[in-house]
Amino acid sequence: MIPVRCFTCGKVISPAYDEYKRRKEAGEDPKKILDDLGMERYCCRRMFLAHKEIIDDLNPYQ
Amino acid sequence: MEIVFSSINDSAARFSITGTSQPFANALRRAMIGEVPTLAIEDVRIYDNTSALFDEMLGHRLGLIPIRTDLDCYIPQEKCSCEGAGCDRCSVMFTLSVEGPAMVYSRDLIPQDPRAAPAVDGIPIVKLTKDQKVVLEARAVLNSGRVHAKWQPTTTCGFKNYPIVEISDRCDACGQCVEECPRGILVVKGGRVTVVEGRLEECSLCRLCERACLNTGIGEEPAIRVRSDDSRFIFVVEGDGSLPVREIVQRALLYLKSQSDELCEKIGEVSGVTGDEEENE
Repeated sequence: MIPVRCFTCGKVISPAYDEYKRRKEAGEDPKKILDDLGMERYCCRRMFLAHKEIIDDLNPYQ
Repeated sequence: MEIVFSSINDSAARFSITGTSQPFANALRRAMIGEVPTLAIEDVRIYDNTSALFDEMLGHRLGLIPIRTDLDCYIPQEKCSCEGAGCDRCSVMFTLSVEGPAMVYSRDLIPQDPRAAPAVDGIPIVKLTKDQKVVLEARAVLNSGRVHAKWQPTTTCGFKNYPIVEISDRCDACGQCVEECPRGILVVKGGRVTVVEGRLEECSLCRLCERACLNTGIGEEPAIRVRSDDSRFIFVVEGDGSLPVREIVQRALLYLKSQSDELCEKIGEVSGVTGDEEENE
């Protein structure tokens, strides 16, 4: 799961992740998506760029 | 002291304070971050959690959700007459019950007091597949950012000195400094370098322009000089949604006032003088 807030500045970033993921899968440039989502600082931007979603891999195991 | 807002809305503000000192500016910054209380989830009672996340990860994620706070309605637990037992003056209960397949969002947290709902609706908490289930009860309490960052009302909150850019008559408008400036605040206009109107506050005091000027062989002294004003500060304050930024600034200033009043009183008690020795704010 994407962290709720940016590790560095504390901005609540997670609500933007659904849109980021959808648009990135549609082949859009991450720079443009992050600009549109209002992610101004590089600390918040790296939260998206460096995130790897593994919840779907974990879900089969209990 | 004069405060001028260049922009303000509920989530962010930018303002300058004139006629004060660096220690005061820092005290205001620290008060905004660490002394203005907000609500955040502190205790979670988990009845059922068959999701892929551990209970403590779930609790951690819940704690980071900003909750809209009406500071007139709530008091910190240590000041409450219930003595930490938890009553509706010092805490808000939330219930959450979701069955998969679904994504659990912060809007699924149902507050007991509708005024204290999560400030952001769409925070994903955990993804559930078929047959997974999360049922829990959470209690949010009022506390300050000094105790834990989840109670901070601000995200970015900082200040810098107001820049002063002076360009002397020796400037030959070669444009080297204009090219060097990373913030693009300089421009060649009418045979002279000047600061672009309204962009002076963007200056980061990096002084690359001074160095560029010296590199043109102008002599020992550069024609452009960047200094900082020690009595004027630019603040940038961003809130996380739990409180409007205006209220954060107001509450921080009131906190400083009450602290300095208390100090005066205590000094008066110790020295036996009861006069009005005003603290210099």
